[in-house]
Amino acid sequence: MPPSIHPVDLIASLRQKHLTPAIVFLTSRRACDEAMESFDHADIVLPPARQDAIAAALERVIAQYPSVAEHPLIPTVQRIGVAAHHAGHLPSWKIAIEELMRQGCLDAVFATTTLAAGVDFPARTVVITQSSIRKARDFTDLTVGEVQQIAGRAGRRGKDQVGFAVVTPSPYIDLGVLTKGLTGHPESIDSQFAISYAMVLNLLKAHPHEQIQGILAKSFAQFQLNRRAESLERKLDTLHVQMEPFGPRVCTDWITQWQTFDQVRRQRPQRHQVHRQESPELSARFHFMTPGRVVGLTRGRGIVLRQYRSKGQKNPMISVLRPDGAVTECPATTVADIFDRVFDCEETSAFPWCSAAAFDELCYQLTELPTRLPILPILVPKDSEPLSDAIVQSMGDFPCPTCPSRPACQKDFTIAHRLRQEQHRHIKSIQALRASLWHRFQERVEVLQKFGYLSPSSQLTEDGEWARLIRIDHSLLITELIRAEAFTGADPALLTGIMASIAHDDDRPGAFPRISTGLSSLLGQVRKLAESLSPYEDPPLLRADVAALAERWIADPNLTWIGLCRLTTMAEGDIYRLLARTLEFLSQIHTLRATHPGLADSASKAIALIRRGVLEELP
Amino acid sequence: MTTDELEQLLAQQPVAVLHRLARGRVHRHFRAGKRRLIELLLQHSSQNLAGLESDLQTLIAERQPPAQPARSPGRAAGRAPAPPSKQPLPGGGEPGIGEPAVSLAAWLEGLGVPAPQPFVPDPWQNEALRALDDSDVVVSVPTGSGKTYVAVEAARRAMEDNRTVIYTSPLKALSNTKFTEFSRIFGSDKVGILTGDRQENGQAPLLIMTTEILRNLLYDAASGEIDVRLDTLGLVILDESQYLADPERGVVWEETIIFCPSQARLLLLSASIGNPQDIADWLSSIRTTPCRLVRHSKRTVPLRAGYLHPNGKLVPLFKTAAIPHGHPTHLHPEAKRLFIEYEEETLPSGRPRR
Ligand SMILES: Nc1ncnc2c1ncn2[C@@H]1O[C@H](COP(=O)(O)OP(=O)(O)OP(=O)(O)O)[C@@H](O)[C@H]1O
Ligand SMILES: [Mg+2]
Repeated sequence: MPPSIHPVDLIASLRQKHLTPAIVFLTSRRACDEAMESFDHADIVLPPARQDAIAAALERVIAQYPSVAEHPLIPTVQRIGVAAHHAGHLPSWKIAIEELMRQGCLDAVFATTTLAAGVDFPARTVVITQSSIRKARDFTDLTVGEVQQIAGRAGRRGKDQVGFAVVTPSPYIDLGVLTKGLTGHPESIDSQFAISYAMVLNLLKAHPHEQIQGILAKSFAQFQLNRRAESLERKLDTLHVQMEPFGPRVCTDWITQWQTFDQVRRQRPQRHQVHRQESPELSARFHFMTPGRVVGLTRGRGIVLRQYRSKGQKNPMISVLRPDGAVTECPATTVADIFDRVFDCEETSAFPWCSAAAFDELCYQLTELPTRLPILPILVPKDSEPLSDAIVQSMGDFPCPTCPSRPACQKDFTIAHRLRQEQHRHIKSIQALRASLWHRFQERVEVLQKFGYLSPSSQLTEDGEWARLIRIDHSLLITELIRAEAFTGADPALLTGIMASIAHDDDRPGAFPRISTGLSSLLGQVRKLAESLSPYEDPPLLRADVAALAERWIADPNLTWIGLCRLTTMAEGDIYRLLARTLEFLSQIHTLRATHPGLADSASKAIALIRRGVLEELP
Repeated sequence: MTTDELEQLLAQQPVAVLHRLARGRVHRHFRAGKRRLIELLLQHSSQNLAGLESDLQTLIAERQPPAQPARSPGRAAGRAPAPPSKQPLPGGGEPGIGEPAVSLAAWLEGLGVPAPQPFVPDPWQNEALRALDDSDVVVSVPTGSGKTYVAVEAARRAMEDNRTVIYTSPLKALSNTKFTEFSRIFGSDKVGILTGDRQENGQAPLLIMTTEILRNLLYDAASGEIDVRLDTLGLVILDESQYLADPERGVVWEETIIFCPSQARLLLLSASIGNPQDIADWLSSIRTTPCRLVRHSKRTVPLRAGYLHPNGKLVPLFKTAAIPHGHPTHLHPEAKRLFIEYEEETLPSGRPRR
C-alpha cells in the first residue's frame, strides 16, 4: 500500500463525495509543490465554463497585482481547479488564491499549516495529513488548540450546512494526537512575557525606577505567577497547622538545635573524610525534586517518585516514572527542567515508591500533561556553608545530651524536619514567584548600565535616549553597531545588506556566491561584535547570502524581481519576507534622524530603493 | 482464555497492576514500560498462562469494589474517558455507548448549501456588544464564528460617538485584508493603516495596525511624545489575541494591554482557548473598568470528522456523526480497523506502534 493517498486520487475522492472545496494541509511547502506537480499529467480537467470563470477571476486580480500574471502555476490552476498556497509564494499569489477560493472557483488548495491562523480562507472540507508541525527546527505534536484551528477552517457559514475534517494517514501520523485534538478542550494559554532591552529603556524613560515593579506587576505573567504563589500559600497554611505539635520546646528552635547536634555527633569522628561536593545549583534544584514533581529529562518528561543517595553514585539520585509506565533511576544532574507542577504522591518504602492507586493516577496524569509547562524559577543561594569547625568543636556546648525533651526531639525530628523543609521550600518558591520578573528586569538594567545606556542611577544616558527607539529583535547589537560607528559612510546598499542579515531568522538554505568586499568585511565586523555580545543577547544568523542578496537589490536599481530571484535558491516568498522585514528594520533606523542624521538619511534612501517591483505593488 | 485474549486483558490494565503481577516473575520489572512488561510477563508464564490469568483476575477483583477512584479536582469536566480499569472484562467490544456506529450515508447527510437567510446577529455577538457599553470584553469563540461582526459594530458605535478606534492584528497580511474590508464598509476616508512598511490615511478615525506598531505608539505616548489622538481613543480591538501565548511575540500583547489608555475600551477577540476567564480576570485586576468574558465553544456550522484510507475508501472517523467531545477513543470500528491495517503495512517491522 502506498504510504499516503496520491493527490490526484485524493481530489477525485473528494469530488466524488461532493466534499469540495477543500483545503489539504500538508507538512511542507515541498509537499505542496509536489502535489501540484503530480497533476501535470492528470487527465481530470475542468469543464470549459469553470476554466473560464477561473481565468476571469484571475484577470481581475492581475489588474491589481500584475506580478500574478507570470506565475508558473496558473495553467495548472486553470485546467484542474487546484492550487498551492504557502509561505514560499509571494503575497500577491496568496491573495489571488484566497480570492479564487472565496469565489468558489477552486476545488482544492494544498497548503501548509501557516494558513490555519487568521486568514479568512474557509472551505467545506479540510484534509489533515499530519499530527505534528515543525517548530524551531523540531517536530512537535499539534496541540488541541492547533488541531481545532486547522479543523475549524471546515464549514463556511452561509455556504455549508456541515463542515468535514478528513484525516488521511501518512507515515509518522499519530492518530491519537488528532482524535484527542478534535474531541478535547483547547489548552490554557500561558504568558510568554520576556523583558527586552528596549522595554527596559522605554519603561525607564517614562517612569521612575521605583514605579517599574508596579508596572511589571500588571503583566499577565505576574498575574499567573501570583496564582501559583497563592496556591503555595494555601499549602503553607496547611503546613502551618501540621507544624503545630512541633512548636517551641526547651529550645525555641529545637529542630535546628537537634539537627546540628545530630550532625555534629555523626560528623565528628569522620571530619576529615572527603565530602560529597555538590554545586550549590544542584543542591538548590535537588531540593525541589520531591515525590510528585514533574521534571524534564533529556528524553521526555517524568514524575519524581523518590529521592535518595546511593553509595555508588557521586550525585544524588531520583526514581522517575516515565510516560510508558517504566520507573528509571537517574542522577539528579540529568534533570534538565524542573516544572512548576506537583501531583499528590506519598512516598512509600518499597517499589514503586508510592501506593498502587497513586501510581496509576500518576501514569494517567503523565499522559495528560499539556505540551508546555511552566518552569519553576529557582534562586540559587550564593554559597551553602558546611558546618564550621568551630561548631563541630563545640559539641560540649549542646544542651541536648541531658535535656529532658531529648527523647521527644529525637522521636519527632524526622517528621518535623521534613515539614519544615517543605515550608522553607514553599517560602522560597513564593519569593521567587513574586520577585522573578523584577529580578529579570534588574539583570537587564545592569547590562544596560554596563554598556552605558543607563546611568548608575538608572537614568537614560544620551545613548539610551536614542537607543530606546530601536524596538526590534537584536536591538543591542544594532545600537552597539551604531555606537561603534560601523555604518559611518556606509551607503544605503551596505546598510541594507547588514540589516537584512540581522533581520533574517530563517535557516532555510539559499545560495548566492558573490558578495562585495565592502559588505564582506563589514559583515565580519558585525559577526565579531555579535559574538562578543552573545552573553547578553542571542546573536542573529548573519547569513552572508541574504546580506548579499539584499545589497544587490539596492545597489542595482535595474535588477528586476525575476532577476533577483534567479540569483538565489530561496523561494520568492522568502525573498519578499526578507526584504519586507529589512524594510521594518530600516524604518526603525530612520527614527534616529534627530541624533544620527547621516545614518537616517541612508536608511531612508534604502527604503525608497527597496520599494520597487513586487514590493511596491503590494500594500 | 487464549494468549491473545490474555494479552488484550493485560493491555487494559493500569501499569501498577502489571508491576504487581511481575513481582517474582520478571527480574528488574520496574525498568520496563507497559508494552515490554506485557511481553515479559507472557514470556515468563508461557508454560503457565492459567496461573498468570488467575493472579490477574484476583488483582482485578481486588481493585473492583472502590468502583471509581475519586479523581482529583481541577480536571476539565468533559474530560477523557474513564481509565481502562472500568472495563476489566475482555471481549466487551467497543467501550462506552452501545449504539451502533454511524453509517457513511448518515455521516454525509446534510452536506450542501443552506437556504439563504437574512443576517441575524447571534446572541453572543449581541452580548459582546452590549457588554462593551460599560466594560472591557474578552471574546473566545471557535474559528469562523463571526468575530469580525463584533469588531465592525463596536467600531461603528465608537465612531458615531466621535471616538477613534484602533484595530490590531498579528499579521500584516491580515491587516491588509481588514483594511480593504473595513474601507468597503465605512468608506475609504474613514479607515487608515499603519504597519511596519505601510502608512496610509494615518488621521482616519479607524486605524488598522499590527500590534507591534500600537505598542510603539503607546511607548511614545508614555514618554511624552504625545500623539494627541490617544486622548480621543475610545476603543482598542485586538484580534487573534490568542497570540498572547506566542513564544516570541506574546509579550507585545501584554505590553499593549498594560499601557492601553484607561479611557479606551479594550475588546479582545480570540479563538477558543482553555482559560479565557483568566485573561478576563487579569484585565479586571489591572484596569479601571471591569472586564466581561463572552465565550462559547459550539461551532456554528457543525463539524464532522472522517477517515480517508490511502486506497480511497472514506469512512466516518468516530462512532457518531458529530464529534464525540471528551471521548477520543470512540472511534468508528471501520476507521480503527483500516488505520491499524495501515500502520501494520507501512511501519518498518519492529517499530513500536504509538
Ligand atoms: N450572525 C451571523 N449570521 C450569519 N453569518 C454570520 C454571522 N456572523 C458572522 N457571519 C459570517 O461568518 C463568517 C465568518 O466570520 P468571521 O470571519 O468574522 O469569523 P471569525 O470568528 O473572525 O473567524 P477567525 O477565527 O477565522 O478569525 C463570515 O462570512 C461572516 O459573514
Ligand atoms: Mg477573524
